[in-house]
Amino acid sequence: MLKVENIESGYGSMQVLWGPSLEVKKGSITSLLGPNGAGKTTLLMTILGSIEPWGGKITYEDREVTHLPTHKKVDLGISLVPEGKHLFVDMSVHENLVMGAYRKEALKNIDDSLELVYSLFPVLKERDRQKAGTLSGGEQQMLTIARAIMTKPKMIMLDEPSQGLAPKLVAEVFETIQKLEAEFGLTILLVEQNVVASLNAASYVYILHEGRIKVEGNPEDIRGSADIREAYLGI
Amino acid sequence: MKKNIVKYYPLIPVLAVYLIMFLIGFFMPGMWQMVALLAFYCALGQSWNIFMGMTGYVDFGYVTFIALGTYGMSLGITYFSQFEWLGMGIIVIGLILAMFLAALAALLEAAIALRLRGAYFAIACIGINEGLRYFIEGAKIWGGSEGLIFFGALTQSLGRETVNQLTTFWADFSVFVIAALAAFLNMHYMRSKIGYALTAVREDEDAAKVMGVNTTKYKTLAFLTSGLLGAAVGAMAWGLKLGHVYPGDVFVIHYTIECIVVVLLGGAGTLLGPVVGGLIYGLSKYWLAIIMPGFQLLIFAPIIIIIIVAFPEGVIGVLKQRVKRTALEKYIV
Repeated sequence: MLKVENIESGYGSMQVLWGPSLEVKKGSITSLLGPNGAGKTTLLMTILGSIEPWGGKITYEDREVTHLPTHKKVDLGISLVPEGKHLFVDMSVHENLVMGAYRKEALKNIDDSLELVYSLFPVLKERDRQKAGTLSGGEQQMLTIARAIMTKPKMIMLDEPSQGLAPKLVAEVFETIQKLEAEFGLTILLVEQNVVASLNAASYVYILHEGRIKVEGNPEDIRGSADIREAYLGI
Repeated sequence: MKKNIVKYYPLIPVLAVYLIMFLIGFFMPGMWQMVALLAFYCALGQSWNIFMGMTGYVDFGYVTFIALGTYGMSLGITYFSQFEWLGMGIIVIGLILAMFLAALAALLEAAIALRLRGAYFAIACIGINEGLRYFIEGAKIWGGSEGLIFFGALTQSLGRETVNQLTTFWADFSVFVIAALAAFLNMHYMRSKIGYALTAVREDEDAAKVMGVNTTKYKTLAFLTSGLLGAAVGAMAWGLKLGHVYPGDVFVIHYTIECIVVVLLGGAGTLLGPVVGGLIYGLSKYWLAIIMPGFQLLIFAPIIIIIIVAFPEGVIGVLKQRVKRTALEKYIV
């Protein structure tokens, strides 16, 4: 569904990505692992066009989208759950969700989408009039994911969704992600530092290190290789 | 259809205030100058608020547009008054030139400065404003630092009587019209897809982008609208009314600050705020200048500080909380 080939980008004159390539297959969970500073977030931002790629090629559904602006990519059905939540904190839960359905096609299906996210996250339904900034950390993360679903995406990219959550909530977030894939057929690109949970959820894994893909493979193989675990994952 | 009209209800108090101001000025002798001054502040506040109130970007160089509007009108009259058959047409040409210069500046500034955020954006706008001023002075275009004086040309082509009416009544009256237009556009943007997009930008620009909002497009649209309205005020209230323009008089950041004060007093991002702010600011400035000439700024500064500390959301911000869930709610926005 999404194919990234030898992508290069960075900030100012500092190059962060040195030509990593990866592929996300339709209807699967692909996980991107790597230590802090590896370039995981930069890669997601580059895919979405928030950072302009310097070189390389991005193909989405057999269409070249390398230099398409962000809003056009969202229109094609790519959605990002940004790191650190980025909610509209002064708006209510409901307003945040409506804002998610900003693009035309999403607006048409807004009622269905609302029903869907409220059934996925019943706690949001209970608090739909509350300001987003007053939710607990876990609820805010749920809302960020829910808002991404409101854009009616075909593919969701999640940037460290379990960051800063209690272990029980982390499990809940991963459960939701797996549900999105299994029940709604969404394609998911998951960026995580939580290695164990990601290896369990994903069907294919890439390990990014210093801006390059160092290892890729099935989760079983990665879990099985002591070298990889020690060198890149620290488990 | 009914829903469409309901969403414009908050315009009623705004337009009512403008109408009352106009009637007071028109029928009470000696009040016209004061009312015109108030309308000037209301119109500028409202125009500035369209961009700042909705996006949260503070444009410190806003006076650029007012100044370019003034120049547009001045150039139109200076260079076209020799064609007598144009008659009143020179004012239309002046207005078109004002719009053109402001649109050009707004688009250029949007391309450069809107890539920046926060303090960097504010500073870039100031830089562009100062740059333009010294460019006009240094390159000696449009009269350079000696400016353009066209009152004589205006009198010659339109006659003393007409010009008298134009400068003492119609120039001020058009400021009322611009203020009303600014209120309408503000309301229209607030209650449409544009408003949602801009509010999302204000709350969290990165999140807005991820939602698929074309942030550049909407920011530019609001910036352009705000700039054009400011230029129209400049063309009428400074250009046509005064009959002269000097770069050192118009490219002055002080006027931007007055816009900011007006909006903050009344409540940023609200519709009624700039009107209330304009009235408070204009009236107290006028009144303090009479009772304590020379000291008005000294007294005015602490008053503004106190009001902004006590009501950080402005007068209308406080009022909005008060009327929540009452019948007045849908009129106060």
